Amino acid sequence: MTDLRDHLMALVDKAVAAGEGPRLAAPHPVNDTMISHWTEAMGDRNPLYTGPEAVAPPAMIQVWSMEGLRREPAAELRRPVDDVFEALDEAGYTGVVATNCEHTYHRYLAMGEKLTSSTRLLDTVGPKRTALGEGYFVTWNVTWYSGDEPVAEMMFRLLKFRPIEKVSREPYPLTPAVNGDTRFFWDGVRQGELRIQKCGACGELRHPPGPVCPSCRSAERTHIVAGGTGTVYSYVVHHHPAVPGRETPFVVAVVELPEGVRMVGNIVQYPIEDVYVGMPVRVTYQEMDDELTLPMWVPTQEEV
Amino acid sequence: MQVVAGSVLPPLTIELTPTVVISTALATRDFTPVHHDPAIAKAQGSKDIFLNILTTVGLVERYVSDWAGPEVLFRGIKVKLGVPAYAGDTLTFSGTVATVEEDEAVIEVTGAVSLGPHVTASAVIMHRFGELPADLAKPRA
Amino acid sequence: MSSLSGRTAVAGIGATEFSKESGRSELQLAAEAVFAALDDAGLSPSDVDGMVTYTQDSNDEIAVAREVGIGDLSFFSRVHYGGGAACGTVLHAAMAVATGAAEVVVCYRAFNERSGRRFGQPNARLSGEPSSQGLEMSWHVPYGLITPAAWVAMFARRYMHQYGVTSEDFGRVAVAMRRHASTNPAAWFYGRPITLAEHQASKWIVDPLHLLDCCQESDGAVALVVTTTERARDLRRSPAVIAAAAQGSGSGQMMMTSYYRDDMSGLPEMGVVGRKLWEKSGLSPSEIQTAIIYDHFTPFVLNQLEELGFCGHGEAKDFIQDGGIEIDGHLPVNPHGGQLGEAYIHGMNGIAEAVRQIRGTAVNQVAGVQNVLVTAGTGVPTSGLILSQG
Repeated sequence: MTDLRDHLMALVDKAVAAGEGPRLAAPHPVNDTMISHWTEAMGDRNPLYTGPEAVAPPAMIQVWSMEGLRREPAAELRRPVDDVFEALDEAGYTGVVATNCEHTYHRYLAMGEKLTSSTRLLDTVGPKRTALGEGYFVTWNVTWYSGDEPVAEMMFRLLKFRPIEKVSREPYPLTPAVNGDTRFFWDGVRQGELRIQKCGACGELRHPPGPVCPSCRSAERTHIVAGGTGTVYSYVVHHHPAVPGRETPFVVAVVELPEGVRMVGNIVQYPIEDVYVGMPVRVTYQEMDDELTLPMWVPTQEEV
Repeated sequence: MQVVAGSVLPPLTIELTPTVVISTALATRDFTPVHHDPAIAKAQGSKDIFLNILTTVGLVERYVSDWAGPEVLFRGIKVKLGVPAYAGDTLTFSGTVATVEEDEAVIEVTGAVSLGPHVTASAVIMHRFGELPADLAKPRA
Repeated sequence: MSSLSGRTAVAGIGATEFSKESGRSELQLAAEAVFAALDDAGLSPSDVDGMVTYTQDSNDEIAVAREVGIGDLSFFSRVHYGGGAACGTVLHAAMAVATGAAEVVVCYRAFNERSGRRFGQPNARLSGEPSSQGLEMSWHVPYGLITPAAWVAMFARRYMHQYGVTSEDFGRVAVAMRRHASTNPAAWFYGRPITLAEHQASKWIVDPLHLLDCCQESDGAVALVVTTTERARDLRRSPAVIAAAAQGSGSGQMMMTSYYRDDMSGLPEMGVVGRKLWEKSGLSPSEIQTAIIYDHFTPFVLNQLEELGFCGHGEAKDFIQDGGIEIDGHLPVNPHGGQLGEAYIHGMNGIAEAVRQIRGTAVNQVAGVQNVLVTAGTGVPTSGLILSQG
């Protein structure tokens, strides 16, 4: 593992030091046909993108340099980042999921402009333990030029991960018992809502929920949808023994919600050693099998 | 319309029909099969075909510009990706004005599907003619 | 209303050996322990007319009675909530004896908790049924929060955060227990003391708990005989008088996961037990010469010392410094080695040790013992006991 990391980091250092790769020419100049395909598909009716004075939608910037179908980049146009990807694939980090994409537009583009683009690797961080499996976050930058003028930039980050081996859709063994008093919560989670029971009479919020309000005795229940943020109040890192349906180690936390209740859940997509009491988190959702979705928590500040 | 921090954008709901998923993938010249071929998408462990990233960014732009109007220019769009947006799901955008400064404003956008947040984004916009953001154009009908 | 205090006593104790594999059924272990306790008291099975055990015990009272040759029973009862039942069995027995519901009551706990069903292993069925407990567990088990070590670790992390307690403070508890066990031939860890460095180097079970913060799963059985103090005085052994016995549950109580109370750094249910014990016995912490503090995991020993008033909240880490709870410290805790050192028999072996300390027959005898305080399982509704010289 250390060998791989050293090998990888050497490639990364080399790629970072290499700076910008070759400038690849966009297959087509900025043109109204591709723009109208794009605006139709997006449902974008902004009049800036039509007519004789039309400009291109800024979010289209990456479209101009897409290679298209069946197009392989020529060997001499290999980007520095490609060596890093190849090494990760060979080491079994075959999974890919994009995590961030940040566009910066220096100016809008007019019809007929011919673009080139160039990529440079910014960094590679890992191995990190994530909900998807162990992986490396790879971050690069693309600059688009019109002639020699930079017109837009994109920072792009993805996670190359080693997929956790599992039979797909094997029933998750740790299922909750559910009855009429608690079903609203689990229904909510399936719909991407974190629900907190609210007393229909006095308005008191309560978690875990129950059939009768301990403050006013009302059995009229309703719920609110939590804002989805919280703070780690306490947490544990489970190492032993093995737990069915789980890969160890994993983090379980008591999360305090600004609504005034606490909930237990897993902290995911974050290095275990960096979790702390007081860490701000936000909710996310994970399908455990065809039936069960669990709310989980990720740090509010994206740290890579 | 006054743009002040805390203003809420009207929500936008997009039904993610297969047509939407596929037409946007092709309009962004992304021919990866998981965006148009359900059998391949499922074989790779996905529930169905799903939106590609270029479309997600495009829809964020459309959502903000639907509200802000053509007088506004984008300086940048940052997206953080969450759960996949599968065909058959509904993508609902909501947004708030996070900050308003002299020459630009930041709009925070969330696009949620049934599994949770698909995208959280922020868009930096400025007025086309350099006027104060407080004078941003009225939304179009 | 008449008080229970002083009217009943533990007249006999008995146990099997403590092991990792008893090689016999739980029912046989129960019968052996009951025989031993009756022999210790100088009573015969036909004297017994009441029986109490834990709801978690797999041996029905009638099954044990059949094996042992106990005849008519006029009282039988079970105490709920895992190891929290330990001293509760004595409370139930004492109440039965004091009210005349029975004259001689046997309390017992028997299990193959290592070679049979291990409590420390995950059990996915914990959250399986929509009973109140199944629903309670359902807020925790799906996230893999499924073992006792994990449930306790969650409290421990918060306690550490709140009071600046360290893993080494927990380690001092383990070191003390293993020191005591090392000179107790009945202990699993007889002759095997540990150092703080060994504690720190032991593997993580559930961070912040190391392996050496956790008791061993054990096979074995312990039984006690409770009767009136008056009758006990005529029996073979000097009585360990029940000066007070109490159960306790707190507001917002759950089974091991009371994470939703305003403050997560204490064990209010043990505070309930403590207040009752002091009130009913008329004693105060300074009058306790040695204490049997339930120690399935080290952190809750600190919480209990605080809840029982041996020190203030957040002060236990100082209380246990410099061997404070070791045999020569200011409050020797678990001279037999506790559940960390002797065996985990769900707290019942601790009551037997308290009786030996009162009798003056313990292997690690504390000098001048007049009163011993005993506690039961923590993190759950629990119980406690003060035994005194009679």
